Amino acid sequence: MDLILTNGMNLVYAVATLALIALGLAVVFGLLGVMNMAHGEFVMLGAFSVYVTQEAGLPILAAVPLALGVCGIVGYCVEWSIVRHLYSRPFDTLLATWGLSILMRKIVEVSFGRDYKSIDQVLPGTVDLFGIAYPSYRLVLLAVIAGFFGLLFIWYRRSNTGARIKAMVSNPPLAAAVGIDTARLARMTFVFGVCTAGLAGVALAPLVRVEPYMGIDYLLSSFFILVVGGLGSLEGLLIGSTVIGGTDAVISTLFAKTSGYMAVLLISILFLWLRPDGLFSRR
Amino acid sequence: MDRRLFIKLAASTAAMSAVPAVGAALAADPIKVGVLLPQSGPGGLFGPSCENATNLAVAEINGAGGILGRMIEPIFADVGGPPSDANQAALKLWKGEKVDAFIGMHDSAVRGALTNLFKGQVPYIYTPVYEGGECAAGTYVLGETPAQQLEPVIPWMAANKGASKWYLIGNDYNWPRDTNTAAKGYIEASGGTIVGEEYLPFTADNFDSNLAKIKSSGADAVLITLVGGASVGFNRAFASFGLPDSVVRLGTLIEENTLAGIGAENSKNLYSSAGYFAAIDTPAATAFSKAYHGKFGADAAALNTLGESCYEGMKLLQALAEKAGSLDVADLENAADGTSYDGPRGRATMSERHVSRDVFLAEADGAGFKVVEVFPAVSAGKNCQ
Repeated sequence: MDLILTNGMNLVYAVATLALIALGLAVVFGLLGVMNMAHGEFVMLGAFSVYVTQEAGLPILAAVPLALGVCGIVGYCVEWSIVRHLYSRPFDTLLATWGLSILMRKIVEVSFGRDYKSIDQVLPGTVDLFGIAYPSYRLVLLAVIAGFFGLLFIWYRRSNTGARIKAMVSNPPLAAAVGIDTARLARMTFVFGVCTAGLAGVALAPLVRVEPYMGIDYLLSSFFILVVGGLGSLEGLLIGSTVIGGTDAVISTLFAKTSGYMAVLLISILFLWLRPDGLFSRR
Repeated sequence: MDRRLFIKLAASTAAMSAVPAVGAALAADPIKVGVLLPQSGPGGLFGPSCENATNLAVAEINGAGGILGRMIEPIFADVGGPPSDANQAALKLWKGEKVDAFIGMHDSAVRGALTNLFKGQVPYIYTPVYEGGECAAGTYVLGETPAQQLEPVIPWMAANKGASKWYLIGNDYNWPRDTNTAAKGYIEASGGTIVGEEYLPFTADNFDSNLAKIKSSGADAVLITLVGGASVGFNRAFASFGLPDSVVRLGTLIEENTLAGIGAENSKNLYSSAGYFAAIDTPAATAFSKAYHGKFGADAAALNTLGESCYEGMKLLQALAEKAGSLDVADLENAADGTSYDGPRGRATMSERHVSRDVFLAEADGAGFKVVEVFPAVSAGKNCQ
């Protein structure tokens, strides 16, 4: 019973963190059609923000504005200088942001060194949850992620900006014709996407390894999620995270970690082959 | 600084730095040593400490008259990529630069490719921790083998830490698998049992299913052969579930960088077995660490068993060449058995192209190590079948 509960909690945690990590890529790829290969590097910037605030003796919450600031400024400059010229050329955005990812890793490596940075635990210790000991920080993180996605869902449904984004995505010339500043809206969407990646980095930094090359793992898992879930909707993102996180967790628990990873790869390949638009498609 | 002044300064600096090179060229030809280390890829973390340690050894050896009266000239090449790239890099140094010997600190896949390339025609010293079993002529191995890291250590863990039910977890390649094969024998001999064994792909960044299995297996000890980032992630998650209170961890490649990543709060009840730790406080090790930081600064790349092994590699080359009186593989082969030298790790004595030496067991003490036991002159075991 304890084992089922532990594995169940682990599954929920895996799905929630995957969705949080993939959100930024889903926004940028799904709404703007930009395959942002530097997505993981924005997660890395978020994690390094925690390292910087920790070294300055500040609490982890101080890393939130820092990460938003850094990712916002970098994202704004990248969109303005590179991405906006390539919106109709998806393959070129892939190459350009791939180069950008290398540059970002190298800059961080030169500034902070190649070695692993240790982030202090936040809320160390475990909480007794129906008889199992579960890390307290994870429980808080789960609540924060759930709240964040709830707000985002409502905002995207109800707000004017949400409606404008939907208009821009479905018919850019028409959206521009009715007076929507699509260039600015696209830039803000891009900045929003990379900022959520930065926030994911902040949230996960106390739990994972932090080093300049950490971003690559997050790009891969985010990509798998989008392949399965489809582009352009929060529902698809959550379904994709559940399928990918769930497959990995269940197969890894029943068999071994290698089998779990293989199953994730197989599912991704099958989806690319048989259902390239994913489970939830706006197309 | 104006541009003209800058150019003048740069030119004069370049001229000055060229002087010693000219001076050395007038003496006997230098011995060129190809130093193969990872400057990129997952092992790239260990490149800087290895390069520093090599340069320190070269400076010391050259300062004392060189090897066989010739100065040493290290030529570095990056072997952080796949074996085929490493082969190309080595070939360029061997046939292009005409290096006289190689020292390598890289993974075993690259070692396999290189021994095939060299075919015993050029001396090759392999320095890092590895799984054992290398027996090629002209290849001399310095690194800790599973026999050295585990044979004395597992009984110690059983006697002092009550380790009896072991869970083995490692990355999915030959070093962890071969290490665990050896470990099983030592665990059974110490009266313990294996309650689980698992290998993870390098991409793994979620260890929850493994931790759940460890917990339900009732293990009281975990043998960790995860490497680098995987070890950091696993150990952090391990601690966040409160497991260190009841389960002791032993790693055979938890060096100073990995421990720094794991962090002081997550390192309770964590042990590491290796031939070198920056925290060894013998006079030789202290002098080495002082010289290292004196030469490269207090914040130079942290000393660790892999980086330091490159210093040992140069020392072994010196000892071998001086005993054989040449750098010819045939002469080295005749002289190798019984060659010994003293380094930061203590005395190393060669037999069957491996060295027997002291092994240190260290306990993580916050973000640093504290040596708790020294096992003297441990044999590298049987490596030639």
